[in-house]
Parts: sequence; structure tokens; C-alpha cells
Amino acid sequence: MIKGRGIFLTILLCAAGSLPLLVSPLPAQQPSDRAHQIGGKFMCMCGCNQVLSQCNHVGCTVSTAMLKEVDQGLARGDSEDTITQAFVQEFGTKVYAEPPHSGFSLVAWSMPAVYLAVGLVLVLFVISRWRKRPVHAVSGAANNSGISPEMLERARLRAARETQD
Amino acid sequence: MDVFGSFALLLAFVCAAYAFVGGIAAIRTRHPLLVKSTRQAGLATCGLIFLATFSLEYLFFSDNFSVAYVVAHSNRSLSPFYKVAALWSGQEGSLLFWSFLLAVYVFSALLAYRNKNGELMPYVGVVLAGVQIFFLTLNNFVASPFKALGVAGANGAMDLVARGDGNGLNPLLQYPEMVIHPPNLYSGYTGFTIPFAFALGALLARYPGEKWIHLTRKWTMIAWGFQTAGILLGAHWAYAVLGWGGYWAWDPVENASLLPWLTGTAFLHSVMMQEKRGMMKVWNVWLVFCTFLLCILGTFLTRSGVVSSVHAFASSNIGNWFVGFIAIILLVCLTAYFKNRDYLKSENQLDSIVSRESSFLFNNLILLVSCIAVLSGTLFPVFSEWFTGDRISVGTPFFNKVNIPIGLLLLFLTGVGPLLAWRKTSLDSLKRNFGWPLLMGLIAGVIAFPLGVREFYSLICFILCVFVAATITMEFYRGAKVIRARSGASFLASAVDLTMRNTRRYGGYIVHMGMVLIFIGIAGTAFNRDVQKEMQIGSSMQIGPYSLLLQNFDTKQEKNYTAERMIIEVTRNNKPVMMLYPERRIFPANQASGTMVAIYSTLKQDLYVVYAGQSPDTQTPVIHVYLNPLVKCIWFGGVVVVLGTLVALLPNRRAVLVLSAVQEPTRVKSLAGTLTPSPTLREGHD
Repeated sequence: MIKGRGIFLTILLCAAGSLPLLVSPLPAQQPSDRAHQIGGKFMCMCGCNQVLSQCNHVGCTVSTAMLKEVDQGLARGDSEDTITQAFVQEFGTKVYAEPPHSGFSLVAWSMPAVYLAVGLVLVLFVISRWRKRPVHAVSGAANNSGISPEMLERARLRAARETQD
Repeated sequence: MDVFGSFALLLAFVCAAYAFVGGIAAIRTRHPLLVKSTRQAGLATCGLIFLATFSLEYLFFSDNFSVAYVVAHSNRSLSPFYKVAALWSGQEGSLLFWSFLLAVYVFSALLAYRNKNGELMPYVGVVLAGVQIFFLTLNNFVASPFKALGVAGANGAMDLVARGDGNGLNPLLQYPEMVIHPPNLYSGYTGFTIPFAFALGALLARYPGEKWIHLTRKWTMIAWGFQTAGILLGAHWAYAVLGWGGYWAWDPVENASLLPWLTGTAFLHSVMMQEKRGMMKVWNVWLVFCTFLLCILGTFLTRSGVVSSVHAFASSNIGNWFVGFIAIILLVCLTAYFKNRDYLKSENQLDSIVSRESSFLFNNLILLVSCIAVLSGTLFPVFSEWFTGDRISVGTPFFNKVNIPIGLLLLFLTGVGPLLAWRKTSLDSLKRNFGWPLLMGLIAGVIAFPLGVREFYSLICFILCVFVAATITMEFYRGAKVIRARSGASFLASAVDLTMRNTRRYGGYIVHMGMVLIFIGIAGTAFNRDVQKEMQIGSSMQIGPYSLLLQNFDTKQEKNYTAERMIIEVTRNNKPVMMLYPERRIFPANQASGTMVAIYSTLKQDLYVVYAGQSPDTQTPVIHVYLNPLVKCIWFGGVVVVLGTLVALLPNRRAVLVLSAVQEPTRVKSLAGTLTPSPTLREGHD
């Protein structure tokens, strides 16, 4: 048991030692990155199918122009919503990097939760049915005479199978 | 050679058609000669597909620019290494490559079971031949890779021509990983055909018990292993070549590869329920059906142009063929199921909700929810256009928001599931198995939080990773301790012995450990940083602990491309670390350009440097630098997952009773030196 604890302690120390890997000093979000941040909510319209702030096409004029538009909007004091509306008017709803939380797009957002809920209900239903299922087991000494060697062998095999892992 | 290839494909189609029709007749008549001849036809189909594939490769290597596919995807200066990869770089060739890999699997399966499972194999042969017929139809009549290059003549007829050189290979594919990523991924896709054929065949034949599961377990694991390796190699390729600093963008083509992987993973888990408890028979059959259907659906998404993707093939009418094929498969599966569903009744009951059985159910639920969420997100733009007339994009932010919580739930179950007992888990057992790991996870969280891991999902992920790693380590430790006490071997040797005694179980744990590493790597994404800057020669910039000095900017001429290159010296605390050479390559054959990222990778973080071209205004080179923590864990985790899969594929080394000579007592030995030692039983290994 002492050795076991030693191993756990070693793992714990290793885990703690690896923490600094995750915690490099992080700079705070700089104000100049605001356009970049808002750009993360739109797709680049050059056809690359990439998020605007991640479009890395060399000399992509579309992403440059779109990010410039965001910058100009911010300079005018436009809110994020106003900038979004301007983009939607210009490019249509395909400019969204993620479906908006309104209208038909709500379907996209709600579906995973619906799948999970329906799945959960189904799993619970299946479990309850399995638990109610009668056991087809031969029991009691009285039935001993009715057990054939084949049945016994089958039961042995099953027991071995079920206890292997 | 193009005529030879075409002819081989046509003959393969005829053989496959015979294997299919003859196979049905063989099932009905049970005539042994017919059974044998259809199996031979199946083998011949594979042989002919091999010939056709090799002949297309020969056309690439002999620079035969009278064939349209060779012109479109190769040129004289293309290195032989990439001429191999040119085979799958376009629609027609990749479909032939699909047929080729499928033929490898079919050939192996038909040969492996040629004298076994006589009742089942004719059904399996028919299903396999049916799938081959579909792909050979495409190879022969819809997207033939052997089409000659022609131009419309004066009289309207097509005149055959030959070009002096080809267009060359897509620059994005001229990267070593692109030579191994598609074969791996395609091997995964095609590999799932074998379990599908056995499942459908067993259902149609009402084949007894769990035999089909035993027969196909290794095939499924091989396919799953290839799919995993293919996905990770693709992610690494995207990371090293596309130059956007990430490895997974939830692109429809990436999603298409993930879908069958998710259902395949669910199947590999739930199959244990059927093997050990005779439960979930219907579920398993449908999981295999769905996995295969998702493989075909993924191919449809990639090739039909129904969803836009950076690396999908050009849109064509080939999608209709796939829709038709999916409909036929679905119809056949539904018919077979409704006709024979009574054969799939479960045998056992569930004793407790806190049991391994329940954990498998929840594991399957989570994997399936993830699969459907990814599928519906991928197809949502199409649905939104149908219903509203507007195409609403679904990009990375949506998939991340939906899938991160699901992934964490799955990670939790990865730790919990294997430690629950079959049938029923007692409270004592729960305390014994989970007490320490849970405590370690929580302590890790408590330490991590003040150290700066404040991002919610990353913190939870880190806690769960420690928890799961601890549960797996405990399992190895406990088992190895018992063996060590009996054998006196070292702890490591005992752990290896333990693994080899139940390769499936402990191989599975190794796979889980690999997944933990992958999750740690993904959690690191929350701490990514990047800086983009115009740089003059001699100027420098700082990111994290690294300082980057632009020493020079030059152009180099290679055989197949010209490269603009930055020469950057990386220092840390004024000490030189290494030189980096990010490039932008221009391929004159097809007037395309590609990025070549320079990466300085350590266990802690990757310094990822992209030459982003010259500024249009100042003509100054632009550098985009990323600092990506823990990315190496993902690639290392991938290697561990594949190793774990290989271990799980090994046969168990069983403890057996062997005969061995026992040393006679000295007294007896001295009296009778020539006595034959008596055989005595002792425990050993085969």
C-alpha cells in the first residue's frame, strides 16, 4: 500500500510539474486585437471557407477589406451588432461563422441538446426494460436432474466469458 | 497501358457482377461448385483491380500525357515519390484507389475464410461484390481515370492528342504526409466494409450467436486504427502545410472523416456487451450499418459539392450515384432487419444501473450524440437554404461550442467505464477504484487554478485528464502487482506480462491513455497566441520567450517550384535556439502557390512561423508567428493510440500448463545419473 501511495504521489508530482506547461504568462487581450476578435465571428467571403480572422491566403484582398471594414466601424463607434448587420446586408447570412441565436438558426443550436435529451430518455428506457426482463436461469437443487451437461458447459463458458474483463 | 487498364477494370466489373449474381444463386441452390466459382470470381475481381491500379501508376511513371488524368495531376519534373500520390489526387484516381483498397480487404477476407464459415461466407461474398460493383460502375462508366486526352475535331468528332507535359500535382499535396494520409484514411473507410458485410451477411443468413462479432473484431480494429491514423495525419498535414496555425477547422471533409470514426468507436465498445452478455444485438448491427453508411455519406459530401470545403473535390454529378447507393444500402439493411429481427433478441437482463453495461450505453449515447451533432452542423447550411432560402454558414465556433462539452463528458466516461464491474458495482468497489483518481484530479485542479489555468473548459479537461490517467495507471499497477508477487519479476516486466495476457483489455487502456494525451493537447489551444508583423531585414520581434530576427530574405529555385524564403534566427534569453526557413512556393506548372511552415517544436509549445507574403503596400515580407502550447501531446497521443490498437490486435498470451523437467533430488541424481527426469506440471506461458 505504501508503494502504491508512492506511485500516486509520483504521478501527482508529475501532473503538478506539467502544469507550468499550460500556464505560460498570458498577455491580456490588446485593444488593437478587437477587429481580430470580431473577425472570429464571420467567415471570409473569398470562398476559402475559413473564419475571417484565420484566413491566411497570401494577399487575400477580401479578408483584408473585411477586417478593414470592421476597423472602420469600430473607429466610428459602431457596436458589434451594427457591424454584424452591415456584413449581413452586404454578404447575406452566409457571412456568419456560427448560426445566429435567432430564427431558424435556433434549430442548429438546440439540436445537440435535443439529441442528448432524446438519447438519454432512450437509454433510461432501455435500462428499465432490461432490468424488468425475467431471468432465464436454472436454479435450485430440485432442478438438478434437468440440467444437461451441454447446459452446464454453456453456463461455464458464459461465466468465463463474462468474468474475463 | 491505358487500354489495358480500362480493359482490366471492365473485366473486374464483369467478374464482380458474376460474384454477385452467382453468389445469390449459390445461396439459393447451395451448389458447392457455384459457391466455389463465385468465390474465385470475387478473387479475380480483386486481381483485376490491382492490375488496373498498377497500370495507372505506370502511366504516371512513364509520363504518358495522352491520358487526361495524368495530364491533370502530374508533370515531368514531379518526383517519383509524388507520382505515387498523384494516383489519389483527383476524383477519378481516388475512386480507383478506393476500389484498390477495398479489393485488398476483400481479397484478404475471401482468402482468410475460404475453408471456414461455409454457411456465412456466400452471403458475405455477395455483399462485398455488391459494394465492389458500385465502385467499379463509377470507375468504368462515370469517372474513368483512363480517359484519353482529346479535343473536338473539325467534324465534331473527338481527336486524340498528347501533351508535351502535364499540369502538375496540386501544391498542397506535395508534402510527404499527403503520401501517407489518404491511404490511411481510405483504408479506414474501405475497411469498415468488411464488418458491414459480415453483419449484413449474418443477419441475412440468421447466422448463430456472436460468431460474426468474433470474426470481424480484428477487421473493425484494423479499419478503426487506420481511420484514427488517417485523421491525425490529416490534422498534422493541415497544421504543417495550410499555415493558419491550427490542425482542425471542422471543415466538411474533416467532419466526414470523423463521423464513421465516432460510430466505429461506439461499435468497438458496445460489441463487448454482445460478446460477454449477449446484449445490444440490434444496436450493434445498426452501428455497423451506420458506420458503413457514414463512410459512403462522407465520400458523397467530399465529391458532390453539396457542401463547400477547402479540400473537397470539384462538384460533379457523381453525387447522385452516391445518393442512389446510400438509398439502396439503407433499403437492404432495413429489409434484412425487419425480416430477421427476431434473431437479434437480447439474452440477458441488467442487474444494476451502476455497472459496466450502463457505462457502455452512456458511452454509446455520447458518441452518437457527437456524431449526429457534427453531421447536422455540417449539413445545416444545406438545410437552412432549403427551408429559408438563405445559406447559413456553420463554422469552427459552432462546432467547438457544441463538441467541447460532449468531448469532456466522453473523457469522464473513459475514466469511469473500465473500472465498473460487469453486472453490478458495489459501493466499496466504487470507493476503492475511484477514490484516489478522483482525489488526484481534484488536487490537480486546485493546483492548476492559482497557477493561471482559468479557462473553464481547459481546467475541467486537465482535471479529467489527470483523473483518467490515474484510473488507467491504477489498473496496470494492481494487475502488475499480483503478477509480480507470484513471479518475482520486475514491475515493468510484470506490467508487460499483464498486458500480453489480456491484450484487448490493456491495449484498450493504452488507447485511452493516448486519448488523454490528445485531450491535453487540445486543452492547450485555449492558450494559443499569434502576432503578425511586417519585417525588414535585420529587424526582430518577440513572442513569448522567443526572439525572432529576420537575417535575410531570398529566392531559391527547385526542380518543380520557386520558393520565396525568410531566413530567421530564433533566440531565447539571447541564446541561439535554431534557424527557421518559412517559405512560399510557386509552382509554374499550374500557377499555384503553397505555404511551407517552419516549426520549432518542443514538448511545452510550438513556435509556428508562416511567411505570409509581401505586403501589397510596402513590398515588405510579412511574418505571422504563433505560439501554440502542448501541440506535441496530440501527435504523441496519436502514436500511443495506434500502438494501443496494435497491442489490442495481438493474440493473448495465455497462462497454460506446460511440461517441464524437474530437478531430481541430489541423492537420487547421484544414484541414477542417467535417469530420465519425470515430467511435472507447472504454470507457464505458451
